Amino acid sequence: MYYFDELIIAEIRKKNEVALQELYKTHYPMIVHLICSNNGTEQEAKDIYQDAMIAFYERAQQPDFVLTCKIKTYIYAVSWRLWLKRLTHKKRYHGSFEVAESFLRVEEEMRSIEEMELDYDRMNEAMNGLGEPCQSIIRDFYVKGNSMEEISAKYNYTNADNAKNQKYKCLQRLKKLFFDGRQED
Amino acid sequence: MDARKINMRLSVEEIDQLDRYAKGTSDQKEIAAVEDRMNSDASYRQLAKEHLALIQVVVRHGERMRVRQLLEAAHREVNAEPALAEAGTAAGSQASMISSSARQTNQKQSRRFEVGYWKLSGIAASVALISVVATFIITRSLKNEQSANYKELRRNVEQIKRSQKLMMDDIAEQKVAPAPANYAGTSFMISSNGYLTTSYHVVRESDSIFVENEAFGNLKAKVVYQDRENDIALLKIPGFVLEKSSLPYAISKKESSLAEDVFTLGYPKEDVVFGAGSISAMTGYKGNPIAYQISVPVNPGNSGGPLFNNRGDLVGIISGQQTQSSGTAFAIKSTILLASIDQAPDSIKTLIRPSRVSSQKIPSRVDQVNEWRKYVFMVRVYKEQ
Repeated sequence: MYYFDELIIAEIRKKNEVALQELYKTHYPMIVHLICSNNGTEQEAKDIYQDAMIAFYERAQQPDFVLTCKIKTYIYAVSWRLWLKRLTHKKRYHGSFEVAESFLRVEEEMRSIEEMELDYDRMNEAMNGLGEPCQSIIRDFYVKGNSMEEISAKYNYTNADNAKNQKYKCLQRLKKLFFDGRQED
Repeated sequence: MDARKINMRLSVEEIDQLDRYAKGTSDQKEIAAVEDRMNSDASYRQLAKEHLALIQVVVRHGERMRVRQLLEAAHREVNAEPALAEAGTAAGSQASMISSSARQTNQKQSRRFEVGYWKLSGIAASVALISVVATFIITRSLKNEQSANYKELRRNVEQIKRSQKLMMDDIAEQKVAPAPANYAGTSFMISSNGYLTTSYHVVRESDSIFVENEAFGNLKAKVVYQDRENDIALLKIPGFVLEKSSLPYAISKKESSLAEDVFTLGYPKEDVVFGAGSISAMTGYKGNPIAYQISVPVNPGNSGGPLFNNRGDLVGIISGQQTQSSGTAFAIKSTILLASIDQAPDSIKTLIRPSRVSSQKIPSRVDQVNEWRKYVFMVRVYKEQ
């Protein structure tokens, strides 16, 4: 239905960085206009827009994601909702969230986006609480996909098994930090 | 839960196994082993799921930090190209977009030439093309949507003159007042030394501006400050000083309440028109927090007019109306006006001195309107064709 948009999503799923950056540049003026004409500054527009873009990027990676509207509509609607939320926080907006013109599944989208947001914030805290070198070891292994041998060399462990034990300890601490944070909520 | 915490922990080997499973580097045998155990061993299943969920968040977290860096890099490019900063400048910005992606491709090319330059530049070019076409189509449709529902209330004098003429042809004697202006709206005084406020959309693209009312006649004014975002403009009548030291009304510093009685004075025609109603919602068009929704009858030409409350204090500026439903108009809040004045350059800001206090006693509506209308002007906007 949205031929070009499907193409863009396909590129983003392939983690095509240029596609993401081009998409960012394409819609940035729209969101600046939206936020600035609704009591916001350009800096706030940038924050909101980046959050919306990240949400879009992450949602696009998930296998169950289906594009039910144009990407532009999606980003516009999500940015608008994020902005209303922020205005509510600033106690400047007391209206209800009726956004009749946005796409149908925006409610569901906002829920998944907020869930991801919660996970992200908690992980941020857990990672910060973890300290070094644990943080870097976990990142190198799970995010960058380095092997235990590479990590052992990088952090001067005598062998890969020592590094693995260290990673194991780090992981247990991270788990405690992350899930205990969750239980307190 | 507690039992699990004390006794159960995955071993180093089990975690290794799960990591391989999550990364998809396990062989068939290992996948089967992990899944079998998950199906048969409930406590293992819980721990394993917890671990898989945790590393999923770790991965996503790392990914997000990477993406944010990417977006920051893209943002720096946006800022480097001022052509992009203006919303809706279609052709120019898209040309620069193509060139910027070409530039980006060049950088990438030198960094990972071995990866395959052709493949990469092909993707970049196709993406730039896609986004160019997609934006073009979308902006057009979006514009239609907006203009369909929201109407700014500046008066297109030509149009009205034509329809008026038709009416007047029937009433042969009466003569239509010649109105050579292109657009007309309403404006009102906010400071006794000749500063006026109106809507930005009334005076945009203007070459010269005249304000007129019964009390002061026809005066030339100039735009001294424009706030496009909030649809506010400040005008100044050069050399104008009011005999009284202050205006009878103040600009309300707090938001009005729902259902508060309000009235407006405006120039939808050549004579001043009074309209009354109430604040019907605390937000404007599409939930816009900077405006009120009001149930005051307004017409093209009311734009830029003042909205007063019962005490006669200014609470808003008439800005537009919803086209689909009648009786729904919008007014920018006075708090936004004050904030906007605050943003103005010091050379203007310091000269604007709105009355601090509203008049002591509340006069009757008739007396009030007769006094207040002296400070409400018709705005005529001329521009080169």
